Amino acid sequence: MKRTIVLAVALAVTAVAVVAAPVVKLVYWSMWNQTEPQAQVLAAAIEDFEAKNPGVKVEVNWNGREIRKTLQPALDNKQVIDMWDEDTERVVKTWGAYALKLDSYVTKRYPTTSGKAYKDSVMASLLDLSRSYAKDKGLYAIPYQPFVFAFMYNKEHFAKAGIASTPKTWDDLLADMAKLKASGFTPMTVDDAYMDCLPGYYLAREKGYQWVQQLVKDKTNAMWSDPAVLQMAKAYENLVKLGYVSNTAASNKWPAGQQDVAAGTVTMYLNGTWLVNEIMGSTGPDFKWGTFSFPTVPGGKDDATAANYGAQAFEISKNCKNPELAFALIVHLTTGKWDAELAKKSYGVPVGGTTDWPVQLTEAKSIFKGLKTCYPWAAGIEADTDKAPVITENFAKLIGGTITADQFVEAMKK
Amino acid sequence: MRKKQYTLMKVVFLGPAVLSYLTVFLYPTLRTTVMSFFKVDSITDAVSTWSFAGIENYRSLFASTLFLRSMENIARIWLYGGLLVFAFALLFAVILTSGVRFKSFFRAVIYLPNVISAVALGTMWMQYVYSSRYGLLKEFFQSFGLRGLAQIQWTTPEHIFGALLVAYCFGMVGYFMLIFMAGIEKIPADFYEVATIEGAGKAAQFRLITLPLMKGVVRTSIVLWTISTVVFFIWSMVFSPLSPEPGTVTPMVYMYQMVFGANMVVIGRNVGAGASVGVLLSLMVLVIFLISNRLIRDDGFEY
Amino acid sequence: MRNSGVPRSSRAMRGNLIPGYVAVGAWCLFTFVVIGWIILASFSTTRDIFAGNLFRSGFHPENYMKAIVNNNVGIYFLNSLIYTFAACFGIVLVSAPAAYVLARFPSKTNALIQNAFVAALGIPAIMIIMPLFVVITALDWTNSRSLLIVLYIAINVPFTVFFLTTFYRNIPTSFEEAAAIDGCGPMKTFWVIILPLAQQGVITVTIFNFITVWNEYFMALIFANKTALRPVAVGLYSMIQSMRYTGDWAGMFAAVVIVFLPTFVLYLFLSEKIISGVTNGAIKG
Repeated sequence: MKRTIVLAVALAVTAVAVVAAPVVKLVYWSMWNQTEPQAQVLAAAIEDFEAKNPGVKVEVNWNGREIRKTLQPALDNKQVIDMWDEDTERVVKTWGAYALKLDSYVTKRYPTTSGKAYKDSVMASLLDLSRSYAKDKGLYAIPYQPFVFAFMYNKEHFAKAGIASTPKTWDDLLADMAKLKASGFTPMTVDDAYMDCLPGYYLAREKGYQWVQQLVKDKTNAMWSDPAVLQMAKAYENLVKLGYVSNTAASNKWPAGQQDVAAGTVTMYLNGTWLVNEIMGSTGPDFKWGTFSFPTVPGGKDDATAANYGAQAFEISKNCKNPELAFALIVHLTTGKWDAELAKKSYGVPVGGTTDWPVQLTEAKSIFKGLKTCYPWAAGIEADTDKAPVITENFAKLIGGTITADQFVEAMKK
Repeated sequence: MRKKQYTLMKVVFLGPAVLSYLTVFLYPTLRTTVMSFFKVDSITDAVSTWSFAGIENYRSLFASTLFLRSMENIARIWLYGGLLVFAFALLFAVILTSGVRFKSFFRAVIYLPNVISAVALGTMWMQYVYSSRYGLLKEFFQSFGLRGLAQIQWTTPEHIFGALLVAYCFGMVGYFMLIFMAGIEKIPADFYEVATIEGAGKAAQFRLITLPLMKGVVRTSIVLWTISTVVFFIWSMVFSPLSPEPGTVTPMVYMYQMVFGANMVVIGRNVGAGASVGVLLSLMVLVIFLISNRLIRDDGFEY
Repeated sequence: MRNSGVPRSSRAMRGNLIPGYVAVGAWCLFTFVVIGWIILASFSTTRDIFAGNLFRSGFHPENYMKAIVNNNVGIYFLNSLIYTFAACFGIVLVSAPAAYVLARFPSKTNALIQNAFVAALGIPAIMIIMPLFVVITALDWTNSRSLLIVLYIAINVPFTVFFLTTFYRNIPTSFEEAAAIDGCGPMKTFWVIILPLAQQGVITVTIFNFITVWNEYFMALIFANKTALRPVAVGLYSMIQSMRYTGDWAGMFAAVVIVFLPTFVLYLFLSEKIISGVTNGAIKG
């Protein structure tokens, strides 16, 4: 009898506590703009989270990419911000000092991880990447919306041109481009925004990305005399001569080149897997997308196991009053149902291990599986902010056919 | 009693304005100047985290090819753009004050681009006028059979500076045309009448009457043009949206990158270097202001 | 000399005006074409814009619906209205009296103040805004409408003072003398008599300030980073950004038109005032 009374009182107290529980607020600053599909899915996911966790309110600030400018000043202002997201490298390197270390959180199990620890139910390579950016190799950022940088291409064009499989070497690529041109397509184009990725990847395939970084940081410009540079320049000069590059490549102001791909006149474009989402408005979901990694080059050392890959990532503030709750939200967003929704609606790569990939990115899956080395952006060719615009400018002239490979090398040596 | 009233009024009337100047302009200018001698990571970092760098920031500026190119770019914008804009503005001002009909209409239309946001105008120039596929210029030249001109791709590295200059100047002509028109309209018509009677042709009238009496206007215009050139930013960002390029970079773009970091790569920022760019820009405006005051003396001729 | 109404010089010149008409006419035609394109593009689709055939798939007014509905345009407009009206009022309140003192009572101090104001016009905004942010941060005053309004006022005072100083010079001093004889204090004289006489200048500079504050982007971005406080310019920029990332360029143009519409309408109705304002301020300066 006594036990029943105690139990009843305990239940009553709990009930009162739950009903009278103060509202717990989480403030999330997002890198997405409210109209982007990612934002719409996240908003729905957050509503779902609030429904499953009564008493929790999540306040979202849809900053858009301006978060790069506004977050740190706000944090310095001691504004209450519990979590934020942006590119993994950026959140760790630029804002890592404000973030909570999350190693102990990822070893736990959560409702959506089907009995496994969190770290075992998401892409391990991404967690490793996140650690690699931190000075103490701790886990500060939880990745989502991964991408890989590779050639995105129109599968229908390949089919019409009679190309059976994706090119693995530069010679394969040349052969395929010849077939495409014969079938009336323009094999390749590029935009000013991604201009330097073309030379960057070629050089990195030749000598690795660390060499590329040294090359651009070399103030004496002596390294540009290396035959590898000339080989790269000649390779592209050759493409231009054979007519495999769109004749507007040098003048394409983003997104003009991408829109050519969407319009079906150009076949290949070196970009991130986000491209599918980015031009979905012009392509529609029936566009047959394919992906292949930048091919190997004659005499080169790197292959398809190396590429720039990354993700956006969440961080939790050191001063967050409810870190477990914040982490629970992150798990909610990155595994299970909402990971699938995010991948589906944004035509992106899912981070949860069991989630289906959108059909447009099927070929990207094998690329992801094989990745061993992570290139920095544009394979390191932007390591010197002074040199980068000069490289882009001269390479644009090369790809536009107005200068020769030798002239390119000369211009870079100045 | 009267004097006290006046003193009180002066204090009360001037007070708020001077106060706002001191807090909003003086303090930031001083802080930025001091900051330019330090290495600072983030703009809101506390002073204790700054590390003294002496004139290192300035030295690195002049060692940076991108910065030097940006200075070269605004020098060219200032000179060539200035000549272009002033020439057209003066031309239109003279035409419209010569008794053409529909003066108000023309004046309003020519001024209109100045009112529209640079982002909209810039995008229109880039993706429509200059487009290599279906652009206005291409269609125009093709319809006249000027194949060679039609083939020119205006947004390649070789041409982009010129493209930017033309687009920018197009929007500025209207503004300066208005200023010049006012200057001309202030000149009494009798001067011209007398000159015509004396047998002076239109060109001579322009040279001997119009220009000299517009000295003050021209001087103001030069200062205004210099200010807008020095802070040239938005148009560059529109023509080179993701990363700066040598053809369009200006000191403000460079400063922005120093303060907020590069767009695609995560490289260390140095707000101190950004501050030093700001200091240099302000000095330039001040110098031009003083020089133009010296060179173009407003005679104060009253009419 | 007989005056036939039209100055002889202009009658004599009218003969060779054809080339003048051609030059001006061509320029205006070009202006119509390019601005017209912006408006037409806002009714098109991204795909069509880049194919160069704006209406291949028909007319798409839904771009505007999307821009308005999805982007909190209502809130942005409301904020912009609040900031702009409050700021314009405040700017005049602070600047008009100051300019009066500077114009009417020359002294070494006043000359120094005037020069300081002019020098301030040349300082790049970023140099001002960022250090200010540190101070505001310390005072814990961010994300408040009142802060933005105060800042907009303070930033535009030098230009307004500079502009209005020249207007006061045109008003004869007899007004103040008469008022003084009647026993009216100097401050009251200003508000009741002088200011109304300077109306033209005040209206004109207010129009300029309106356009400036309406289009202001950077300060609002830094100091008002909550959606509920954002004005149209920041909203526009984020709309443009988001439309880029979703590849909705037609929507972006719709957003652009929505934003430039008020300035355009204001301009149409007040173009005469703006123009005579620019000219009056510049000649004396």
